[in-house]
Amino acid sequence: MTIYLDNAATTRPDPAVVDELLEVSRQAYGNASSVHTAGVRAAKAIERSRARISAALGCRPDELIFTSGGTESNNLALKGIAARAPERIDRRIVTTALEHPSVSRPAHWLAEQGFELELVPVDGEGLVDPERVRRALGAKGALVSIAQGNGEVGTIQPIAEVGAICREHGALLHVDASQSFTKVGIDVAAQRIDLLTISSHKIHGPIGVGALFVRQGVELEPLLHGGDHERGLRSGSSNTPGIAGFGKAVEIADPADAARMTARRNRFIDEIGARIAEVRLNGPRGERRLCNNISLCIAGVEGRALQAALSRRGIAISTGSACSSTVRTPSAALTAMGLDERAARGTVRVTLSKWTTDAELEQALSTLEEAVAKERGR
Amino acid sequence: MNELEAQEEIDLTGVPCPQNAARALLRLETMACGELLRIVIDDGEPIEQVPSSVLEEGHTIRSKAQLEDGRWVLFIEAD
Repeated sequence: MTIYLDNAATTRPDPAVVDELLEVSRQAYGNASSVHTAGVRAAKAIERSRARISAALGCRPDELIFTSGGTESNNLALKGIAARAPERIDRRIVTTALEHPSVSRPAHWLAEQGFELELVPVDGEGLVDPERVRRALGAKGALVSIAQGNGEVGTIQPIAEVGAICREHGALLHVDASQSFTKVGIDVAAQRIDLLTISSHKIHGPIGVGALFVRQGVELEPLLHGGDHERGLRSGSSNTPGIAGFGKAVEIADPADAARMTARRNRFIDEIGARIAEVRLNGPRGERRLCNNISLCIAGVEGRALQAALSRRGIAISTGSACSSTVRTPSAALTAMGLDERAARGTVRVTLSKWTTDAELEQALSTLEEAVAKERGR
Repeated sequence: MNELEAQEEIDLTGVPCPQNAARALLRLETMACGELLRIVIDDGEPIEQVPSSVLEEGHTIRSKAQLEDGRWVLFIEAD
């Protein structure tokens, strides 16, 4: 039996989500753009999901566009604004060095197309100072893109403060909430967010579904042109079962889960510090950290060796973000926080889910303790 | 003609088919039997398609009137 502690990479779908997915696949198989009965049934499944998710974000249903996931939503936000409204943002992108590749790569690609790219620095815990964003904006407009919760080190950014500054300066704000949705409070109106990315498979929903909130009045160029689905912003026949499963995942998300994960996360962090010498927590402690994230820099070992050792014992952890774990260069996010290459290579990430138990964490701790001792003794 | 008094209302202007019908039907599901929903839909395909979807699910259209700008107002009684 696998002890699955890589929930920032993806989560196991909730059985209620799987039931919904199967039921909708069986009953609402029509094309949600068709006007016959089967089409209306599919459209109802999608609109039910849209209503549930938009209520969770505090937006209107018409402001939510379903996509294939976080990567597509992030690309649509950055490239879509840049293509449709380059003058509105003064051809400028402001982001941080801590972003997921689905934000940093489009941002760098836009820089190659002639957009100005400004990277706001982060401190040693990965935190962005909103005043640095203000300074980066200066007197010009921009599209600011920043993740609410960082997937690698768990840092939660002061989105409301950044949002207020962006609104004051006339800049647009895109927030990647792939890792934080249902774990950290989101209210797109109060936080003055113009575009927001969410992903289904990070919250026990099906993989291959996400959404982008686009504030009314903000214009985007679609990435995919075609049959004008999703208000013309995302052509392609709708993934009805996936969207319905996403809605179910949001419906059953329980705020009490975050509190339980926080308590387990804190115990694990305290315990590992007591049991293994020279372990450092990457990112902040307390409320500025995602409830499920534990990122550890362990001196004198390679993160990959620890990951492999735990994998052999049936424990799944990660060395950094899963998407870049095939790349052997140290994480850009860790180096942006000031870690040197050796420290970045010694980093492992343990990420909890609502189902993670104390017994599983104890098993992971003792296996990690053993593996570190063995690696250091080599 | 005096307008009926609706318990709920949705403006579906600009919402394409069959999303408009889907949203109206979802709202009707939350309403008690006999309550009235007032919807506004566009002319063209919406006024051709939405009423049949509503009737198919057993609801009753109590009135249908075209506005000066071409849109339609429907009062639907929830089943």
